[in-house]
Amino acid sequence: MNEEREIRLDRMRYTKNTLSSGLALLAILFNVMFFISIYESDVGTYYYNILVGASILYNLIFMLAAFLCSEGVKNYKLGYAWLMAALGVGQIARIFIYPMRAHADVVTIQEKTVSVMSDGQFARVTVYLLLSAACLLAGAVVGVIRGRALAAHIASLDGRAA
Amino acid sequence: MAQLNIQHIDKVYDNQVQAVFDFNLDVADGELIVLVGPSGCGKSTTLRMIAGLEDITAGRLLLDGADITQTPAKDRDMAMVFQNYALYGHMTVYENMAFSLTLRKENPNVIHKKVLAAAEILGLTSQLNKKPAQLSGGQRQRVAMGRSIVRNPRVFLFDEPLSNLDAKLRGATRREILLLHKRLGATMLYVTHDQTEALTLADRIVCMSMGHVQQVGTPLELYDSPANRFVAGFIGLPPMNFFDVTVREGELEGKGFRVPLGEAERAALAPYAGREIELGVRPENVQEGGEIGMKVFSNENLGMNTLVHGHIGGRNTPENKLSAKLRGWYDFKEGDEVKMAFNRCHFFDKETGNAIRKGE
Repeated sequence: MNEEREIRLDRMRYTKNTLSSGLALLAILFNVMFFISIYESDVGTYYYNILVGASILYNLIFMLAAFLCSEGVKNYKLGYAWLMAALGVGQIARIFIYPMRAHADVVTIQEKTVSVMSDGQFARVTVYLLLSAACLLAGAVVGVIRGRALAAHIASLDGRAA
Repeated sequence: MAQLNIQHIDKVYDNQVQAVFDFNLDVADGELIVLVGPSGCGKSTTLRMIAGLEDITAGRLLLDGADITQTPAKDRDMAMVFQNYALYGHMTVYENMAFSLTLRKENPNVIHKKVLAAAEILGLTSQLNKKPAQLSGGQRQRVAMGRSIVRNPRVFLFDEPLSNLDAKLRGATRREILLLHKRLGATMLYVTHDQTEALTLADRIVCMSMGHVQQVGTPLELYDSPANRFVAGFIGLPPMNFFDVTVREGELEGKGFRVPLGEAERAALAPYAGREIELGVRPENVQEGGEIGMKVFSNENLGMNTLVHGHIGGRNTPENKLSAKLRGWYDFKEGDEVKMAFNRCHFFDKETGNAIRKGE
């Protein structure tokens, strides 16, 4: 059993952490789904403010950072795993910024008062953000565990060699 | 490992071109056989038929007694190493070596053990995380070999694996293949057009020409007792010198020169008295001193040896050209007259090209 574990650890020296890496890419996909879903309703000029610019900018930064995390955790880099976790927390926080506010607000269009974000749309975008966050956090946890295990294994190999 | 029996194999392509004629060979377990011959002689075709990459038109192929003539390549349990390595550029060395086992869905821990063991044998342990593009040609070829080793196949097939390497690397990789064969004790078939590779690697050599097997034997047999003129000319570097001569009483009469015969040679050539035969002399069997006058036209110093080119019999014709590999350092100038002697001769029937030996 111990030998099995030892080999499993040793394998990590030559194989990539594709699970964490794949989860990071999946998180990007869910983020894209969120992004293309949030502006689908016709609510006049509701979104025409500085927040929309910040949101677009954040999306670009998020996707770049998540992609870098995907490459970093693939090689068991602990720093990228922590960044991935932070991005996951950020995705959860985003639920309380745009979707929550838009869901609570109403706008008047052609003398009709309508909700900025319907219940259905709110549920969808929230699920997308939660899925994205879940992928990032799970990938980060796996990345940290594996990264630490590999570092300890390499240290023990170096110790043996010395 | 495995014993391979190749019985009366023919290969005829769809356009009715026959590439291989009646190929017969029994390969013993753990034997390293080298198929050698010029380009287009059918050696690679034969290897591909054994691998299952080409259909066998006629004949049978037996592996450990089981007929595998119609067995698909993937089920033959043979591994082939190609000239162009055929590595996956986007995968690391480790992933390349593990790939075939991963496809078979073997336990990853078992794969890991096998890959590390193969890498250790081939000296690739420190390269496992690199991509093929980061490796030298020799290292890439070792990765290709490693990919075969991890599969633990019954037969290894090598199709001109060293042709893409430079001369120095070729020598080093050749030694590695030889060590690998000794270490694994595996049955191996190796195709090359390079006779040096054949002589240094083989337990037995199969010399081919125009789809026909010319001779099967140990490297020494092919070098020392070539079955015919083709084998004699193909094996050995520089190649053998050939002269048309007539068998006379106690000597051979060439165009402007005479070669005295020993007792054994006289007996062997007795049936050819008065007839024209072909005389073959290896450059290393020519020595200074003797009766044959040679006019030098070039002198190449190789360090331990000197390669002297010239013509004999006072005639500057292609038929009278002689190359001599003399031990030591000589500085002959163009036009120098040197006396030479042949200390070992080979005789070939002018019509059939077959070697003439005593008692035949």
